[in-house]
Amino acid sequence: MALRLYVWGPAFNLPSIDAESIAAIAYLSQTTSQADYKLIQSSPSAVPTHQLPSLYDPSTSTWSSGYLQILRYLSLHPPPSFHDPSASSPSTTANLHFLLSHCPPLIALSLYVSSTNWSSSTRPAYSRILPLPLPWTEPSSVRAAMTRRAEHLGMSSLDTDAEEEKRQAEEKASNAAGWISVPPALRRTPRDAMVPEFARRIKLEQLARDVLDVVKDMELRENSGLRCLAFGFLSLMMVDEVPRKWLAETVRGVEEYKGLVGFAEGFRREVFEGQEVDLSRDEAAESALGLTVRFLEAVVCEVPWVGGEWRRRAAVRRKRKMLEGRGVKVREEGEEDGLVLAGAGVAALAVGVGIFFYRRLPPFGASVQVWNAPSLTFGSLGAAGAMLGGVFGVVDGAY
Amino acid sequence: MASTGTPTSSSPWGSLQIPRPIQQLFNRFPLVTYNANNLPARTQALTSSNLPTLHVFSTDEDALEGLPSFNPTCLKWQTLLRLTKTPHRILPSTNHASPTGALPFLLPPQSTSSSTKPIPASLLSAYATKHGAIPLPSSSSATKEETYLSLLTPIRNAFLYALYLDPKYSSLLDRLYIHPSSSSTLVRKTLRYQLRSAAAASILQSRSLHPDSGREQIDGEAVFAEAQEALEALAGVLNEREGWFFGNERPGEFDAAVFGYAHLILSFMDEEKGLGRVLREVGEGAIVGHWKRVKIEAGWDI
Repeated sequence: MALRLYVWGPAFNLPSIDAESIAAIAYLSQTTSQADYKLIQSSPSAVPTHQLPSLYDPSTSTWSSGYLQILRYLSLHPPPSFHDPSASSPSTTANLHFLLSHCPPLIALSLYVSSTNWSSSTRPAYSRILPLPLPWTEPSSVRAAMTRRAEHLGMSSLDTDAEEEKRQAEEKASNAAGWISVPPALRRTPRDAMVPEFARRIKLEQLARDVLDVVKDMELRENSGLRCLAFGFLSLMMVDEVPRKWLAETVRGVEEYKGLVGFAEGFRREVFEGQEVDLSRDEAAESALGLTVRFLEAVVCEVPWVGGEWRRRAAVRRKRKMLEGRGVKVREEGEEDGLVLAGAGVAALAVGVGIFFYRRLPPFGASVQVWNAPSLTFGSLGAAGAMLGGVFGVVDGAY
Repeated sequence: MASTGTPTSSSPWGSLQIPRPIQQLFNRFPLVTYNANNLPARTQALTSSNLPTLHVFSTDEDALEGLPSFNPTCLKWQTLLRLTKTPHRILPSTNHASPTGALPFLLPPQSTSSSTKPIPASLLSAYATKHGAIPLPSSSSATKEETYLSLLTPIRNAFLYALYLDPKYSSLLDRLYIHPSSSSTLVRKTLRYQLRSAAAASILQSRSLHPDSGREQIDGEAVFAEAQEALEALAGVLNEREGWFFGNERPGEFDAAVFGYAHLILSFMDEEKGLGRVLREVGEGAIVGHWKRVKIEAGWDI
């Protein structure tokens, strides 16, 4: 049976919106005949590893996720037509790891962290490749993941939405504290008038150069796995259908990187020109039921308190299912479950005690003390009353 | 001008009279005032040394003898200071003591007139260059070193996975990081849970997955296979030219970083399977040979 490669859908005139997916598509198309594999446009929530690209081999029921794992799987279990003559050397491994750890943060800054690029290019691109209602959940989680990868570069000011929110909160707090504030019209410095990408241009360019200086010295010709990955990252760096193209301008504008630009354009002509990348859809995962389940699961994962636990349990379920598919018996374990259960027990107890107290409180606004007029019974009418009570057969408590 | 006059409305509590019995009760406090405690005896020794102090994860006994730390990053910098013969001493510490929130950091001697600001790990290399007797090797291949430095990420991930997430090493984790912190079962359990989720989050994040997805989301086999490839690549570099990495004439920062992991894996992980076995076998023991050379160079003949 044919291998199935699950990848992100196409965007920016590239076969995929994700660098590793582009690399995996290019690698398979160069080493394996079309008959041996099938490309499927997908999203992380449709595959059990929650990571794209993912390669599924129906003959061994194995999922391999991530570019390195796919390379490894293909070299260990090659499909019949697989042919990769390039030899692997220590420097190839080092270069692969370098690309995988240093390029995603750059792409994250350019396409994901920057609010302008995100809202005008990247997000619409995701909306085009995802079926409704997934564009409401998946792009924001991809953005969050990419932002986390770029966190260590300290460039959060590109995310002007978050910055603006922070500024407004601070202003509100200082107004509330009674500080006299400068009127907004006087407060605008020239720096404020600049777009953050311009204000940070030198720093951003330096970040890009730090990485590209290493990439330009790599021997890209010698290993096809490395070549495909470098193309995946470079092609996304050179995307210029965005309003703030600092990254594309750095790659294209600097004389030293001419070789890289030439390589990326040549590779694109060689591998992708003239033939459409044939992406099919995942029928089961994109049925109405499949979409609803994927959407609801993503929503539940975002609920505070419950979401984290749900996410962990869902991961356990998926893994168990995946292993059982391969015929592996999964053992149960529950040390952390004990802690979670204890926590949940304490929380439930607290809620129970709270409800109990709440129920015992008088209704809101009710008077605290109530005097009732003594009820008029026959007993309070003295001897005559007692006599009458006896007549009517009333058992009177006053006696 | 901001006016900070007296508050116009007096506090609603000002006019409130305190009930007699409560006032009497509070008048009885404090019942006894104790004298201030003396500082613990060891603080004298801890603060009055004229050697710079490197704070690392270690035990009291090991620190006295300057033995290797049991944390890979701490061990890397400790080794670098020893390789450059920078005078220093070791003090066991925790992350809470560090100004950056992470160990190691170096505290210059308090007696000197120069700056006594703590030096975080990121500036230790410059410190060693300035104060060390032996200079660091001038790297002729900086880009190469930078490229190979990313091979340490998969090794780090596999080390984290083995130590924190593999139940096989949970007793080791307890001995190194958890039991020294507290003797209460509940605190230990919580600490273990926190350390484990932090390790899982760190691995998940390097694979672009959500950090809350937990241990089961990590494909242990893949983490391990990546580390194996990285170790093979490192061994390949060592086998190209005998001696130190990248043909340097002296061991440098990269050698110290590799030693940091190699030493811990060799001393704590057995040779039957897993990381311990791979590290011993790759490149016909190239990494073990490197480990021995660094150990001699750093003056540890353990």
